[in-house]
Amino acid sequence: MAVATATPDATVRIPAGRRPVSLNRLARIVTMLLVAAAFVFPIIGFVAMSFRNADEVAAGQGGFLGLGGVSWDNVRFSWSQVNGFGPGSGGLFVRWMTNSLIVSVGGALIAVVAAIPAGYAMARLRFRGRRILLFVTLLAMVMPNTVLVIPLFLEVAAVGAVGELWPVVVIMGFFPFGCYLAYIHFMTTMPPELVEAARIDGLNEISIFTKVAIPISKQAVALVAFFSFVANWTNFFLPLALLSSNQNNNTVSIGLQQLIGASPLFNPTVAAGLNVKLYMPQLALATFISMLPLLIVFLGAQRFLMRGQTVGAVKG
Amino acid sequence: MSVASSARTGSATAADTAVAGPERRPSRRTSRRVEAVGAWTLCAPYVVLLLIAGVVPIGYAFATALQTPPTPLNPAVGFGGLKSFETVVTDFRFLRTFGNIASVLVIWLPVMMIGIVGLALLVHASPGRFGNVMRFVYYLPGALAGVANFVLWVYLLNPGSSPIRAFWSALGLTDLKSVVVSGHDLSFILAAMLFFQGVGTWIVIVNGGLNGIDDAVLEAAQIDGAGPWRVAWNVKLPIIRPWIGYAALMNLAYGFQLFLEPQLLDQVASNALPDQYSPSQLGYAFAFSNYNFPAAAAMSLILLAITLGIGLLIVFKSGLFSEETH
Repeated sequence: MAVATATPDATVRIPAGRRPVSLNRLARIVTMLLVAAAFVFPIIGFVAMSFRNADEVAAGQGGFLGLGGVSWDNVRFSWSQVNGFGPGSGGLFVRWMTNSLIVSVGGALIAVVAAIPAGYAMARLRFRGRRILLFVTLLAMVMPNTVLVIPLFLEVAAVGAVGELWPVVVIMGFFPFGCYLAYIHFMTTMPPELVEAARIDGLNEISIFTKVAIPISKQAVALVAFFSFVANWTNFFLPLALLSSNQNNNTVSIGLQQLIGASPLFNPTVAAGLNVKLYMPQLALATFISMLPLLIVFLGAQRFLMRGQTVGAVKG
Repeated sequence: MSVASSARTGSATAADTAVAGPERRPSRRTSRRVEAVGAWTLCAPYVVLLLIAGVVPIGYAFATALQTPPTPLNPAVGFGGLKSFETVVTDFRFLRTFGNIASVLVIWLPVMMIGIVGLALLVHASPGRFGNVMRFVYYLPGALAGVANFVLWVYLLNPGSSPIRAFWSALGLTDLKSVVVSGHDLSFILAAMLFFQGVGTWIVIVNGGLNGIDDAVLEAAQIDGAGPWRVAWNVKLPIIRPWIGYAALMNLAYGFQLFLEPQLLDQVASNALPDQYSPSQLGYAFAFSNYNFPAAAAMSLILLAITLGIGLLIVFKSGLFSEETH
């Protein structure tokens, strides 16, 4: 994307080896490494936690960050506990993951289908209302999305669909940031002359979009799909308000909250009545598994993210 | 920077095209109409979603806020005027929730801004692989968003599992409840959680702004004899000021939506914390504990007005979206 192209390094001309080791440079590197350690160690320790066993955690064994206590047997046991959660023989966790996939993928699909043509129209077509639509999009994009959750709940309750997945999918499909991404994409990659030329060739407005704009919108599609999927997957408040009344239709983000609430660490009374025991390793494993789809999507989208880094970065 | 400037190039060329078509004047009006119809057709799905997920719920919240809540004695809803706003504003928790948000923001926002700008400048001053690796490392916690970040913090805060167990025991804290409840720790804990989860994304964003600075500007400063500190302070900082303003306002707005962290911390601390710590929690309680939907709607509208104000500031004043709005 044109936006990210002009980023050569200012200092790259001086070969690193010849630069004097100044106090400044040393201080910079040490500061950066210390901050990095503070960021990475908790994550390593947390991931290691999902491979540990609760007794050793309680006893404070396992060495540095608990790395000495990791084993597959622990994971297998923890999984049996996480997967055993729920009525009867359990299986709620898998159900939650499936629901999260349904709403996140569904929401991302709708977001792409709606945002790409709208972004194109706002970037390259002249029509009355364009500015207002763009302004509303910007405003909706910079506002925290939890503000509208209760009004959305009232709306969904009015149509009698609380506890069902489809309203969540539709609401997640409204993704103004995606529309803005598409707008910037067509602004920077599709010259207006191309639209003019296509018109002279006799294409109508819709065909110009489908035959000229869509073939060059792979980057925008990938970015909108990625950001929307991540936002949907991690969304907590919306599914909490709309879905928590129906345990089978919970997403994994609110499911994790239930697992925490059923842990003997925090709620011994509830936990006493359960067949499964969810201590810290089990909670960490469930969290870790719930993050895997994000990791996969991130790896898949990485080349698009790096290319359109600056644009993508306007909102994380 | 780049986003705005590339947009600028785009609209300049759009204007050129508009001027460069006098020979088609006879059919101009029809072609304009055809173009507008095409544009609205392409925008239709998005506009429908905007209505469903934005406009209609806001309108419906207004209508709901003007009703009276049903009571066991009078189950019918009627017109209540601004009564529900009064209920919300005079609720003893109302001001307290905003005070709580303020106490978190006072700690979190300055630390966050210094962290974002400082680390982005450090990353920018580190060319090559080291800088890239560091930027990626700083981004990592941001990938653990929402509940995942929360569970990670439970692991850190709970003396029973924490890698900094020694630190907690030095403070005399032996269980999670005591860590979360002791003194005014909650603002600090929430600030730390928000910082850890948010700073990386913003480093990438501000770093993007720094990457947009013209090399010639930095070279000129170096030739003038400015050291790395002076370049950062006198050259880079002023140039990325729009990004810093954007980050500060976005994070300020984010503070007002705080929900997950205090809600779940209360859950893991055996309900030892205030049940309605943040305004969003209060709105949630109006809806799902008291079933007072008019009050819940009124609370949402109050929060909407605040964040809308911040949003307008971002769009008009940050300087990042100037081309789009003028």
